[in-house]
Amino acid sequence: MSVSREEIVRVEGLVKEFRTGMGIRRKRALDGISFRVLEGEIFGFVGPNGAGKTTTLKILMGLIFATSGRASVLGHDVGETEFRRRVGFLPENPYFYEFLTGREILRFYAKLSGVAKPEIERRVETLLDWVGLAHAADARLRTYSKGMLQRVGIAQALVHDPSVVFLDEPMSGLDPIGRKEIRDLILRLHAEGKTVFMNTHILSDVELLCDRVAIIVKGAIRYEGRIEEFLGVDERSTDVVLSRVDPGLAAALEERFGAIGGRGELVEVRVAEKEVRELLDRALGAGANVVSVTPHRASLESIFLSAVAEAGARDRSPGR
Amino acid sequence: MISIPAIGTLAANTMREAIRSKVLYTLLFFAVLLIGTGVLLSTLTYVEGERILQSVGLAAIRLFGAAIAIFIGIGLIHREVERRTIYTILSKPISRGEFLLGKYLGLVATIWLQVLVMGLAFAAVSLLAGAPLGIGHAQALGLAAIELAVVVAFSTLFSSFTTPMLAALFTTGLYALGHLSRDLRDLGSHSDVETVRLVASGLHRVLPDLESFNLTTQALHALPVPGSEVVFAGLYGVGYSAILLVLAVLIFERRDFK
Repeated sequence: MSVSREEIVRVEGLVKEFRTGMGIRRKRALDGISFRVLEGEIFGFVGPNGAGKTTTLKILMGLIFATSGRASVLGHDVGETEFRRRVGFLPENPYFYEFLTGREILRFYAKLSGVAKPEIERRVETLLDWVGLAHAADARLRTYSKGMLQRVGIAQALVHDPSVVFLDEPMSGLDPIGRKEIRDLILRLHAEGKTVFMNTHILSDVELLCDRVAIIVKGAIRYEGRIEEFLGVDERSTDVVLSRVDPGLAAALEERFGAIGGRGELVEVRVAEKEVRELLDRALGAGANVVSVTPHRASLESIFLSAVAEAGARDRSPGR
Repeated sequence: MISIPAIGTLAANTMREAIRSKVLYTLLFFAVLLIGTGVLLSTLTYVEGERILQSVGLAAIRLFGAAIAIFIGIGLIHREVERRTIYTILSKPISRGEFLLGKYLGLVATIWLQVLVMGLAFAAVSLLAGAPLGIGHAQALGLAAIELAVVVAFSTLFSSFTTPMLAALFTTGLYALGHLSRDLRDLGSHSDVETVRLVASGLHRVLPDLESFNLTTQALHALPVPGSEVVFAGLYGVGYSAILLVLAVLIFERRDFK
């Protein structure tokens, strides 16, 4: 029996138009998008640059207003402010008051978020430690690197211990070690039962972290669902690389499994997952060596690229 | 419901920003220098030297106070939007009105602190030169502080929807007009044309009457000023600022931060 989980984010028919050209023309950034994010999941909002990811997030954070449609977080309309005590937000490339130190800025955000006075110092020290900034806590932010500012951004988003966290490109500006640390931090938040909404275009992070994803292209949601559904669990294929394949075996394999590739002495065959045993039996029986067996599945990247191409084709089709 | 602690946090942070800014100290340095040069100017005359000294001092406080109010005020909100520091702040349980009010009160508190420092320099110079000091000087400084709160309200209003350059032009223009609005009304009242009289009177009602905060002459000549006049001017300044801030909030609440 499935346990129904609370809807943390609900977006229905959201449209956003920006006025351009002296306010005469209108540019539609969001074209009636709908999706939902459930309690405790890591939700990846994926799309190419300019697809409408940040616009959606800004509407959810009350920074811009939707032209039409509805959006709610934790059951509250996004125009309200009180529920934000339970919400954390990391904007893309965050900027902070440079005249403050790392410790001062976290105190400032803790106070704004309504953290109880006796708790403030403890939370600030914990977060400085979490994001690895304890050593630079008393330096002014103007001396911080881009990666360090990104860490401040994450710390301020978590300083009030929110139950839902919105992250806009959280890995932006981080080196590989920093990215690994942030990935671990997101998984830690997930383990604590927090809901994470993540805007990103780094698909490997989405595959590693997210429970569900929505792909947005040109202001419209093209796919929404669990990550396994996207990646087609039942349609896995496997690449088998063989050596010492005589021409007779090569011809037999080509006839049975379709086109085969080759690199020097190596022969590469792609087969369906259920055909791997048969291929290996035939190859080994004919005296070939097995160099590698690599399970292969449709990557999020290929799905993402086909969604973008589909949107492009739709735009070019007659009648549009 | 308005969150007083949140407004206090924002105001304190705005003060801290201004206090850590070098621009403020530069302006303050020149203000104190000008107050000090009053001593030099007063030695150039045999008569009314003390009055010249105090006249220069009070003018320096009002002018440099206005310069600080305009210079810092015009970027008060615009800078937050431009540098995107507003994104993280408004994602906290803070309304846009609270944000604006916090920024405004923080800058007013900073400017009042400057008036206090300049006032102390003025008092020290007056005492050194043997010039008289009385309640009239305190009243003049108090109303100068209220005038600056109105100027900050103007710069906050313009800063909430336009660029610092335009905000500086609008605020400086209104500062100048504010000091002429009383003359405009008086000139208009001498006109034979009813429409001119009505327009002049209407303009005086709409534009700020900043001369109502100017008690320099009374202070210098030790002329008594009724307490009710000071209280009325103070209430006028607070009320006028409140209207400007309400307008600023109404505009700011509709803005998209792209």
